[in-house]
Amino acid sequence: MSRTGRLELPEQQERLLRKARNLEWAVLAYTAVTITVVALVMGNSQAMQTAWVEDILSTLPQIAFLVALPIIRRKPTAKHPYGYHRAMGVGHLVAGVALLAVGANLCFEAISGLVKQEHPPIGTMQLFGMTIWQGWVMIAVMALIVIGPLIYGPMKMKLAKQLDNKLLYADAAMAKADWTTNAGSIVGVLGIGLGIWWLDGAAALFISASILWDGITNTRGSVLDLMDMRATTYDQKQPHPVHGRVDEVLRGLRWVHHAASRIRDEGQVFHVEAYVVPKRAKVKVSDLDRAVDDILALDWRVQDVSVSVVSQLDVPDEEEEREEQRGRGSP
Amino acid sequence: MRPTRPRRVGAAVVAVGIAGALAACGITIPSDVEGTLDAVTGGVLEVGVTPNPPYVDASEEQPTGSEVEVVTSFADSIGATVEWTEGSEQTLVGLLEAGEIDLVIGGLTDDTPWSDRVALTRAYAQAEQADGSSAGLVMLAPMGENAFLSALERHLDAEAQGER
Repeated sequence: MSRTGRLELPEQQERLLRKARNLEWAVLAYTAVTITVVALVMGNSQAMQTAWVEDILSTLPQIAFLVALPIIRRKPTAKHPYGYHRAMGVGHLVAGVALLAVGANLCFEAISGLVKQEHPPIGTMQLFGMTIWQGWVMIAVMALIVIGPLIYGPMKMKLAKQLDNKLLYADAAMAKADWTTNAGSIVGVLGIGLGIWWLDGAAALFISASILWDGITNTRGSVLDLMDMRATTYDQKQPHPVHGRVDEVLRGLRWVHHAASRIRDEGQVFHVEAYVVPKRAKVKVSDLDRAVDDILALDWRVQDVSVSVVSQLDVPDEEEEREEQRGRGSP
Repeated sequence: MRPTRPRRVGAAVVAVGIAGALAACGITIPSDVEGTLDAVTGGVLEVGVTPNPPYVDASEEQPTGSEVEVVTSFADSIGATVEWTEGSEQTLVGLLEAGEIDLVIGGLTDDTPWSDRVALTRAYAQAEQADGSSAGLVMLAPMGENAFLSALERHLDAEAQGER
């Protein structure tokens, strides 16, 4: 017995998703402004140039989210019977790989600049008829820009947790750490101002390392999801509680002798495959129907449920859990 | 646990405090990595020249031309005497990188291919090029000597203002 459940999300989640979409658009617009302003004053500071590239790259997960959003809502077709939910994961992977590649490249450039002992030049600029050192303008701009992510980072994080969306979570984690890159570039420019040439390269290395790290975590996270790792919480640290509850519901049924399940995390929604060993040889279709309904009612993320009647269980999860327990017992 | 906002504001206050303390200790921003401005002030300003009339004319014993005049007046403003070295751009850029000379002039423009190896001043004037396009005139300073570069640019700005 199976059911492809509801296609629409509950009203509350629909509202949150709309909110997330609007927030991502607003942040994209804000970032477009900061990218332009920084490009105008950036000068020869390697740290500032790296922070600027980081600003550009930070839009990738947001764009991936906005592009994937209309796609994941498409109904399953004969050609795509599981629906289009994985679009979000694919977007996440593309963004992760881009971050990884550019982060590695920037790391290399920062290190080679330090090895070659490049002394970055920053001269003056004319502002409102006055000649001032350009470094002060760069620091002022960065100090202003530092404020943005401090406001929208936590907003994104809150939505990501409410929606249980991993792409949004990764994006929010990046936004929350964004202030460190801006602060780092201020340190680099101040270093140039003080005549400490290597401080700029060191700050650039720090910023590019954080881009590289974002790339590693995003690529790893998206690959794990696309490889059908078991359903986890948004930060991929724990198994998702829904899994245990599905098994609990099935094992609690009167006609069920034993039950187990596996869940595909499709990004925003779960596809549940459950297996039950009945107590008797005959099973009523209406009982099976009710079991599917019970599982669907568990959580809004459970969207597609199939329950199979089997003579014995062959799902690895119990064994795996026992293994884990043994591992924890003997360190 | 993430740092709370008041703590971040606190960090910013500390940063400003450090900057203030540095200023109080007589540290100026920008500073030179190699201390060029300090060395040439009241001393000798080593200038490389590539002949390129009307900016630099090296046919006489002492170079003349509009850029030579500007550099001489800059040297006067910091109490330095100028020593001229004539050579090709490539030779002079090499000397500049090695720290043998402090400045290179010769009607160079802001799209000079040497910009990876030396610091360009802001364009101090516009000049028509051989192909009829317009380009900004610049001088070449050593990389990372930002106090020297800034002092030179301030002087160039003042000269431009005086002409107007």
